[in-house]
Amino acid sequence: MSPTRKHRFAAFSPQGIKRHLGRPSVFLGGVVWVLPLCVASAQAAPSPPPTALPQAEAAVWLQKMADAARHMAYEGIFVVRQGDNIQALSVSNRLVGQGDESRLVTLDGNLREVRCSKTGAVTLVSDGNQVRMEKRLSRRHFPDLLPANPRALLNWYDVRLGEPARVAGLDCRNVEVLPKDAFRWGYILCAERDSGLPLKAVLVNGNNQPLMQYAFAEVKLAASVGPSSNALKPPAWATAHPTLLPDMPEPARPVETEQIVARILPPGYVRITAVKRHLPNMPGEVEHWVFSDGLTHISLFLAPNSKPAHSVRGESARGMVNLMRRQVGGFQATVLGDAPWPAVETIALGLEPRK
Amino acid sequence: MNTTHEAGDSAYDNLSALLDGELSDQGARLAIRQLRDDPTRQARFAEYCAIGDLLRGQHEDLPGLTRKVMAALDDEPTVLAPLRKPREKRPLLWLAAAASAAITWGLWSALPSQESSAPLAAIPTPADVMPYLVAHQDYAQAVLTTPEMHYTRVALSGEAR
Repeated sequence: MSPTRKHRFAAFSPQGIKRHLGRPSVFLGGVVWVLPLCVASAQAAPSPPPTALPQAEAAVWLQKMADAARHMAYEGIFVVRQGDNIQALSVSNRLVGQGDESRLVTLDGNLREVRCSKTGAVTLVSDGNQVRMEKRLSRRHFPDLLPANPRALLNWYDVRLGEPARVAGLDCRNVEVLPKDAFRWGYILCAERDSGLPLKAVLVNGNNQPLMQYAFAEVKLAASVGPSSNALKPPAWATAHPTLLPDMPEPARPVETEQIVARILPPGYVRITAVKRHLPNMPGEVEHWVFSDGLTHISLFLAPNSKPAHSVRGESARGMVNLMRRQVGGFQATVLGDAPWPAVETIALGLEPRK
Repeated sequence: MNTTHEAGDSAYDNLSALLDGELSDQGARLAIRQLRDDPTRQARFAEYCAIGDLLRGQHEDLPGLTRKVMAALDDEPTVLAPLRKPREKRPLLWLAAAASAAITWGLWSALPSQESSAPLAAIPTPADVMPYLVAHQDYAQAVLTTPEMHYTRVALSGEAR
């Protein structure tokens, strides 16, 4: 009896398993079970990615796309898809002197409009019978995703040429801008064949899974966009209710004395903004800092807080937006951005009271 | 008798473990020392080796022991019946279990999961966080609604628990 029990254990011991796996009949039996899994995995595996472009060629592609979004006139309608949500917006860009002016208007859902010029940017929000105007810190929006000098991105992103495609009736070429580390998401842009204007942009995570997509459904380029274009006229809802709310927030102003310091930043990130500002539906002023590598932006909000709370982590569906809140000295620090968790966490944990 | 037999079995557990290579260095040294000093253990150890050889098809080299062990096996028909084809069935069962687990896991992963978007340690939306999410939209590439977020508490070193 005892030998039987002993060898029952032995069959599951490392040596026993090794002995069993060593027998051909058993090995084949295992193959019968495991082979379908291998086949399934092989079918799900993506095709090999294209090779990264040499830096010089990559820089040309990035610069062409960045310049087209800034220096050429266009108007059209694009669709944004984020998870299960889809939103349509009209966009127009016209050249004024040495700069450009652009407008973005929501076509469904709440009425909102963004107006950008070289003097700044505002968001107009329809609020019942009134229109609220909010200062906007950034004047970039789709298809203007890349910084004016995108060459520096090549330190942190690989650029690969993808397949030709067709978007909004125009031929374009996929250009993949993929991160070299875990501190940023990537973009797959489809550059219009002649001008280089991005007609489509897909924000992807480290596994190349889409997190958010922007794509023109209709677009007119350059010469076909005149100064009398309907897209450049103020929308009817904005002109019908020109009254601005009396509590319109004051413009942001620079931070005068900094009591918090960011000791550690993810590679490639620098602080591009540090202002004090009033936020809608929030009493008092907060400091709003922004860190960026040129393509990804992460915000830090500092609010005076004498009653420390537990540290909190926030995450949106699919992990696109990450947030961390913690107490730093006498401030409640909230770090958030459309960036991977390691980037948000690094910034949040690197905050210290200035000594 | 059974009680005595089982008590005797447990006393020799480390012999089986020694054969299976499951003992630590210290445990193996102790088992070998006991084996060296105890003739009863030596007999039991030889019996275990013989059964192992029998199951591995190497019993031709040990005719005396084989006969002895086979006779003992005949006295235990109920327990030993499942072992008539031990080498064909056991590994298949083991692999089948592993493969089934893998397939089940694969199917489970492929199915939409309600829990994937609701962490177990989820907490209510912290106060004042929404204006920050809205303000960060200044850097969004379009005019978007703020994303739906899930929150969990994190513990940092040096922080009050």
